[in-house]
Amino acid sequence: MAAAAVLLVGGRSTRMGHSKAELTWHGQSFADRIARVLLRATGGPLVVVAAPGQPLPPLPPAAQVVTDEREGRGPLEGIAAGLRALPGDAVAYVSSTDVPLLHPALVRHVITAVEADVDIAVCETESRFHPLAGAYRATVLPAVESLLEDDRLRPRELFGRVQTRVLDAEVLLADPSVSRLDPSLSSLMNLNDPADYERAHSLELPELPVETFGTLRENGRGSTSVRAATLGALARTVGITLDEHVVAALNGDQITNDGAAPLVAGDEIAFFSADGGG
Amino acid sequence: MTVGNGSVPAGYFGSLLDIDLSACRHARHPLPEALLRDYVGGCGLGARLLYDRAPARVDPLAPDAPLIFTFSPLVGTPLTTSAKFAVVAKSPLTGFVNDAMCSSHFAIAGKLTGHDAISLRGACDSPTVVVIDGGGARLEPAGELWGLSAAATESSLRESLGHRYRISAIGPAGERLVRYATLSHDGRHAGRGGLGAVLGAKLVKAVAVAPSQKVASAEPERVLALARELRERSFGPATAKYRELGTLGNLLAFNAISTLPTRNFQEAQFEGAPQLAAEEIAGLRERTRSSCASCTIGCEHIYATDDGSELRVEYENVFALGPLCGVADADAVLEASRRCDEYGIDTISAGGTIAFAMECVERGLLAAPWLRFGDGAALLRAVEEIGERRGLGDLLAEGSKRVAEELGGGSDSFAPHVKGLELPGYEPRTLQSMALGLAVNPRGADHNRSGAYEADMSGEHDRLEGGPPHVAAAIATENRAALVDSLILCKFLRGVFSEPVAEWAELLAAVSGWDVTPAELEQTARRIVLTKRLFNQREGWVADDDWLPDRLLAEPVKLASGRSGALPPERLRAMIDGYYEGRGLDAWGTPTPETLAAHGLSTP
Ligand code: SF4
Repeated sequence: MAAAAVLLVGGRSTRMGHSKAELTWHGQSFADRIARVLLRATGGPLVVVAAPGQPLPPLPPAAQVVTDEREGRGPLEGIAAGLRALPGDAVAYVSSTDVPLLHPALVRHVITAVEADVDIAVCETESRFHPLAGAYRATVLPAVESLLEDDRLRPRELFGRVQTRVLDAEVLLADPSVSRLDPSLSSLMNLNDPADYERAHSLELPELPVETFGTLRENGRGSTSVRAATLGALARTVGITLDEHVVAALNGDQITNDGAAPLVAGDEIAFFSADGGG
Repeated sequence: MTVGNGSVPAGYFGSLLDIDLSACRHARHPLPEALLRDYVGGCGLGARLLYDRAPARVDPLAPDAPLIFTFSPLVGTPLTTSAKFAVVAKSPLTGFVNDAMCSSHFAIAGKLTGHDAISLRGACDSPTVVVIDGGGARLEPAGELWGLSAAATESSLRESLGHRYRISAIGPAGERLVRYATLSHDGRHAGRGGLGAVLGAKLVKAVAVAPSQKVASAEPERVLALARELRERSFGPATAKYRELGTLGNLLAFNAISTLPTRNFQEAQFEGAPQLAAEEIAGLRERTRSSCASCTIGCEHIYATDDGSELRVEYENVFALGPLCGVADADAVLEASRRCDEYGIDTISAGGTIAFAMECVERGLLAAPWLRFGDGAALLRAVEEIGERRGLGDLLAEGSKRVAEELGGGSDSFAPHVKGLELPGYEPRTLQSMALGLAVNPRGADHNRSGAYEADMSGEHDRLEGGPPHVAAAIATENRAALVDSLILCKFLRGVFSEPVAEWAELLAAVSGWDVTPAELEQTARRIVLTKRLFNQREGWVADDDWLPDRLLAEPVKLASGRSGALPPERLRAMIDGYYEGRGLDAWGTPTPETLAAHGLSTP
């Protein structure tokens, strides 16, 4: 199984009154943020599905952009376009773009829930499916296409046709990573109108521990904590410029000097000299 | 003065001084311009001279095995960090090519003896000092110097010969043929691969050089302008780490990203790292900064030890004697490092071999119950026994590869070496470009001839998922190291170059007067790497020698993120195959006839 992701950015956003993909979350477009969260969670290919001619904000270089064949036909059309662009053995987390609090831990949980006998794992809260918070085997594409051919556009019909595992709040929170890092399942909180958008912005960003090493330590102080949505914003707060000489490690793992890297609850950031010569 | 005189290019003397120690004779041999241009100087020129001058399959400790000092075109110019020399010989530790570098005034004085290379072969009947000055070369009895540390030998000889003389000397470990004994000058070591033992086997305690000639660049004004500009750049952010904390500044950061080899590569994080970190030690102990001759960076951070003596502290010696042996006691680690310096022992190989022995004790393969991970006193005892080839030290002085052969019991699977050279402080499972660089490098597991960790730590690829980008990075960094070690400039300057090869071509052109282009230098780099492979091939290298210890391929390490750093053998195989292809080697790692022809080389 190869973990992958599909990000649908082409919805109509009627209630929001503005393209959701271009809305910003603490200075970064929703589309860019979610694309990067998905890349981080899966490490695999990422397909961004847009409407034909839709203007897009800058996206990470790894994103492959495809367009909906037919506009305005709901999520199944986008899911089909995304799955078509992926290898046959992929299991893709499919996401909308209006979930700025999406956490990689939830994405990983949903993908791993697609076990050998499962085709789709989909989140459900308050008896409502979240088809754009689910993981789909690329092999369900013929089933999706046949529904589209018959103009049957409701995802629920797809879930009835293939082996679908429903992940309710209890199941999701039984995963210690999810319960620690996203205890209120904010990953599933999609923003539909300006009031949702306002409300989300009034939430405090998580406080993240930061370590600086070597010459980056000021007055010998190596540890602090900062609230920030991206690595660039966090670096600015602690007075560090990310460039070819200074890099950061996220959680002791991924090394980057990309200021657009999204930060999420539970992240630990270490800044150090990129020159490891010794 | 020699300025592009006849067939001798500016910046060179076009000369090799060949000293036959057995016959007490020396002769000057011309070095053709084409050879100098093909190999530049330093490690490159040394590799070629070794290939030409060493009898095939010679025992590295036999009289016939040559040991060659090579200088470089940039030595003696005002270019910052250029005062360096290379020492090249067949390694008694690996049986393959070994080129170690050292810095400072010996480089300048050695070159100004009027030679681009000084080769020693044969052996003396009794302990000897080789003296090279305006009068030629002569052999003087070492007398009471035998048994002294390199530093004491150096001071004593400068007193007796005069302060014009600069000295490279071996310590007691070199005399006792410890297979990883160093050769040192002014407190710095040509550290890896056992060059000290090669000199010790020849009964040469020291080589003293005094300048008697001058050399000029083809375009002195231009060289001066380039030197000024480079000097300015050397004060910038690219060298801040080296200036302000020294290489020990790596330790805490490496620990945070799980690339600090711990307890013989059983883990990649060390709970005692904070006690050993530069950030901590720097605040606790008095220290001064020092630099090699002609250097504007000054990466050397000198710490005070308890008895008031001074000690150069670097990442590699602290890593190898600290985390690798599980020792968190800074006093013990610094003292072990000081004793290694005094005996003249490579700290990386010493730490690697001791850590390996500690694990063998744990597993019941070695009966030395006193030798435990984490025990500072045991570490000090082990260093002493190695330096004196006493007790268990007589076995450990052979290096981890030979110790594993002696102990058996499957210990070769966790003996921390490649080709016999102990691994440096860069965890291969979490730095997978570096893993490849360590596996294929002709010198063995070495971070100086293969700096692929640079790419792993730049964030340009996932350091845990070795693949084609990692192969490209390993080849590119190995090429750059081949050039910088031949020109010679200090590696710690490398971050200041935005177009390194083009800028180096410009420097070499201004010094030598050659119309050298970046493309020519790229080819030179490849030729140097190939020449080392050809030497190894002639000495018995087989494709299996390009590999890593089984432990690194079988036991993943955990990262703080929860991800595993795993390097399955098939991934390493694929990267090595990619490397062979990228270098123009066949599937067994041997240069193809086309590759040889393209670089003006022929088969052994
Ligand atoms: S940076 Fe350090 S090792 Fe390099 S030349 Fe300067 S003092 Fe010597």
